[in-house]
Amino acid sequence: MRVLIVVPAFNEAAALGGLLAEIRALTLADTELATVVVDDGSRDRTAEISRAHSVRTLVLCGNLGIGGAVQSGLRLAAREHFDFAVQIDGDGQHPPGELARLLDAARAEPRPDLLVGTRYRVEGDNYRSTLLRRLGSGWLKLVLRLVAGVRVSDPTSGFRLYGPRALRLFEATYPYDFPEPESLAIARKHGLRITETPVAMRERQGGSSSIAGLATLYYMLKVTIAIVLSYTRARRDAEDDDATGG
Amino acid sequence: MQQVAEDYWIFAVACLVIAIVLLRLLLREQITLQGSMSFLAFLVVLGLMAVFPGTTSRIAHAAGFTLMSNFFFCTAIAALAILHLRALVILSRIHLRSIALTQELALLQEKLDRVSTRPTNEKPPTPLHGSPKSADDAS
Repeated sequence: MRVLIVVPAFNEAAALGGLLAEIRALTLADTELATVVVDDGSRDRTAEISRAHSVRTLVLCGNLGIGGAVQSGLRLAAREHFDFAVQIDGDGQHPPGELARLLDAARAEPRPDLLVGTRYRVEGDNYRSTLLRRLGSGWLKLVLRLVAGVRVSDPTSGFRLYGPRALRLFEATYPYDFPEPESLAIARKHGLRITETPVAMRERQGGSSSIAGLATLYYMLKVTIAIVLSYTRARRDAEDDDATGG
Repeated sequence: MQQVAEDYWIFAVACLVIAIVLLRLLLREQITLQGSMSFLAFLVVLGLMAVFPGTTSRIAHAAGFTLMSNFFFCTAIAALAILHLRALVILSRIHLRSIALTQELALLQEKLDRVSTRPTNEKPPTPLHGSPKSADDAS
């Protein structure tokens, strides 16, 4: 099984080295791992650190945002016919050691097209996110459930595994701003099978989040509208495909 | 009619000046003809409204305006709103294209880097945990 680990990174020089060292230390049976760091127009040494670890590095000449960076990695995975792509954020929030759990869940029948690692269902000690984040996550969970019928406990999680169908879909269409919840609505509308599995997460290992203070309100509003629009647009596309027999 | 026409000649001159500026920009290839056609069309419409105030007045009254200046004002605002919307559509399209191009550039650059660092008689280097099977390699 060939798996591409996609690491989107924007000014993550502080956390990236440690993360890549952890990924290098991974050994998984029957799994051929490759890693690509997508440097999203960083102004620090992100790309340099990535290359120093002999990791494939996509350097975007401008900052596209997390969605554009992730889609670049997914395009690479789709074009090189990887079986799966796994997104691990460059800030170190997603422990690479949890990859085994994702891959185990991905092998389960019926096979999921999109597997979300959820931080809210791990027994024992686990990274506890802020109250604001949990409130926001709860709201998005509700919107996704009502609008798209998607039931996931952690809609903002970026720790995900993409199967071949998801790779083909997201290679062509992937949201650019705050993409995680919106991409779930798109996936559902295109008939992809979405499941989740518990994974441990931790505090970011460096850098700072772009979503804080008033930006949180903007994020909630924008994502809510985006989910409704994406779902409607995807439904229209699906109807067009049916009409044309495509 | 003559009196009314005199009232609006400044507006007509303003339209003419803007049209000349637009034409200069077109000649210098700083804007495209395709992108500025709607702007030129609105300038012509507003200019004609100022030059033929009698007709404009009849249209304004039929549309429910008692003052013709209000009609001018509303028409100009509507024209700006439409032009802005059109610009927004074009800008969004260009934004999406620039994202796709940025991604393609990065993918090609990475491929080029790998090819250029690969010795001629050797297999592709192992990036991390094994070598990727690229579409090219597979073929």
